[in-house]
Amino acid sequence: MFKDLDPILHSQLRLAVMSLLIGVKEAEFTFIKEKTGSTAGNLSVQISKLKEAGYVDVVKQFKDNYPQTICKITPQGVTAFEAYVKALQTYLPK
Amino acid sequence: MEQQDFSAKDSLQLIESMISKAQNRFNENGHLYLLWGWVVLVCSITSFVSVYFFQSFKNLMYIWMLTIPTVIYQMIYLARKKKSETVRTYTDEITNFVWVVFVVMGFLVGIIIGRSGHPELFNPLILMLYGMPTFLSGVILKFVPLRIGAISCWVLALVSVFIPYQFSFLLLGLAVITTWIVPGYLLRLRFKTQF
Repeated sequence: MFKDLDPILHSQLRLAVMSLLIGVKEAEFTFIKEKTGSTAGNLSVQISKLKEAGYVDVVKQFKDNYPQTICKITPQGVTAFEAYVKALQTYLPK
Repeated sequence: MEQQDFSAKDSLQLIESMISKAQNRFNENGHLYLLWGWVVLVCSITSFVSVYFFQSFKNLMYIWMLTIPTVIYQMIYLARKKKSETVRTYTDEITNFVWVVFVVMGFLVGIIIGRSGHPELFNPLILMLYGMPTFLSGVILKFVPLRIGAISCWVLALVSVFIPYQFSFLLLGLAVITTWIVPGYLLRLRFKTQF
């Protein structure tokens, strides 16, 4: 039986962001941008959606007078990511 | 990376590739291993010369004072490094704590040995302790030379209790070559070649 895939995570860039964050403690916006190869605008929109869903925490601060955005996956995000991967498995040929 | 419909297989491939991009980042350039390796090597050889040729134990304290500016430099270096980092991994965090535990234990051993009246036990115990963070760092960083260095430390710790005290300084020097200097250069090489 096919399980419904979480629409928040079933989007290429949002899934890429979550997959990066699941393995690290926290990452700067610039790191995520570099690794996903996305544009700053698109990435910013997708991170906002993840934040609204409660999947990531976003901290905005200043470092050497420059704005810095730090992202971190939340426990709710980890649960959603695990559920998404489990649901994906039902789509794969046994 | 555009948003689009993609299959379950594509999703899994994307997850795998992103996890590997985050995990395979090797953040250790070996700088502090080399710094401490050379500082301790200079201190241990100078200590040996002082104790063996001049029978002077008083100078030891002054010789090892070289570690104080090294600690200050390390603190400044780590603060700057932390500022320039764009990602913080669990690996970095655990490795840092392993070394903090070593510093705390080394400090406590220093006090305990100082109070015990057996200064000759200091080098063997420090050699034994050296092995712990080095071995664990080797496991965490998946870097075999550090593990080999740690094992050599434990062997040297054993050897040091069977030889005259003065020579244990030479073993200390040998230990930092195998645990910090050689792996330090190899770490630097690995760090440079990852780009």
